Amino acid sequence: MASSLSPECTPLKTSYDVCFNSWFEGYLEPAVSALQTADRAAYAKANAEEYELKCGKIWQEYKACVHKAIKDNGLEPVLQQAREEHPLATPPSSSEHRKA
Amino acid sequence: MKFFSQSFLYDDNWPIVSLAYFLRYPNPYASHVLSCDVISREHTPSGTLLTTRLILKRGNVPRWFPKQFVSRAESWLVEESEVDPFGKVVKCRTRNLDNLKIMRVEELVEFRQTEANKTLQHTEVRIVSGFGWGLTKRIENYGINKFKANVQRSREGVHLILELLRQSRLQPMGLGGTPIPHLLPAAHVNSPSVPHERRDEASDPPKGAWSRFRSWFSPSSSR
Repeated sequence: MASSLSPECTPLKTSYDVCFNSWFEGYLEPAVSALQTADRAAYAKANAEEYELKCGKIWQEYKACVHKAIKDNGLEPVLQQAREEHPLATPPSSSEHRKA
Repeated sequence: MKFFSQSFLYDDNWPIVSLAYFLRYPNPYASHVLSCDVISREHTPSGTLLTTRLILKRGNVPRWFPKQFVSRAESWLVEESEVDPFGKVVKCRTRNLDNLKIMRVEELVEFRQTEANKTLQHTEVRIVSGFGWGLTKRIENYGINKFKANVQRSREGVHLILELLRQSRLQPMGLGGTPIPHLLPAAHVNSPSVPHERRDEASDPPKGAWSRFRSWFSPSSSR
């Protein structure tokens, strides 16, 4: 059941998931040097670029397929309403995070 | 409104628990999840990752509920998450998109690294019904009791994925390779356009949890 809401998107989803998960494992364990705030922005940028390089293309294909399926299923209005009610808050600043 | 909260400590560290949480669908404990799609994903300037996922779940309508108000026993949910790999925090909010007039469910989950290199999960659920017809309290109670009954199951699902991840990491492997099905290129994908590294052949997967998981995935399965 690693399937997409639309069967025709499932192969694209699978390819994308494989790519993302492989990048994500590395993302979750940043290099120790990157934990210093000064290096964080550069490290974060490099991470984002690596993701774009590896998974950017398959993401565009998968995203296009899913968004078409969402339209076809008439889900746009409910998603839009959900966004209006509770937009994803701006990311909290790092000072809000408790030190482990 | 009904409220429920619970905290749970995983022995594993934050990166592997967070990965297991994002990989939790599919798993045998979540057979009610019919589909899961990423609909948006972006990197914030501070280096965190924002993801929105659209999930379809199959549900059961209790006998006492008037069926004419429910079009079908499937429900759409949206999951919004933020991953901060520096502060080692995952924040995730899941809520239903349809049947809102009947019941609104919002689940907030946080995973944080602890000092002992373990992972603390904190869950809060809020259920509100404005349905009326003398059923409001009953709907809210039903919703919260269902959630409590399933919270153990959902943890078992995450535990299963954690176990598989731990086992797969014990094996020598190349970049990006694990024996978990949805981490491998699927057989029916013709040509993934992504030039990621692949192992030549998976080494024999360990028995036990893995065999159970694989048998659940056998081609004879209709899902």
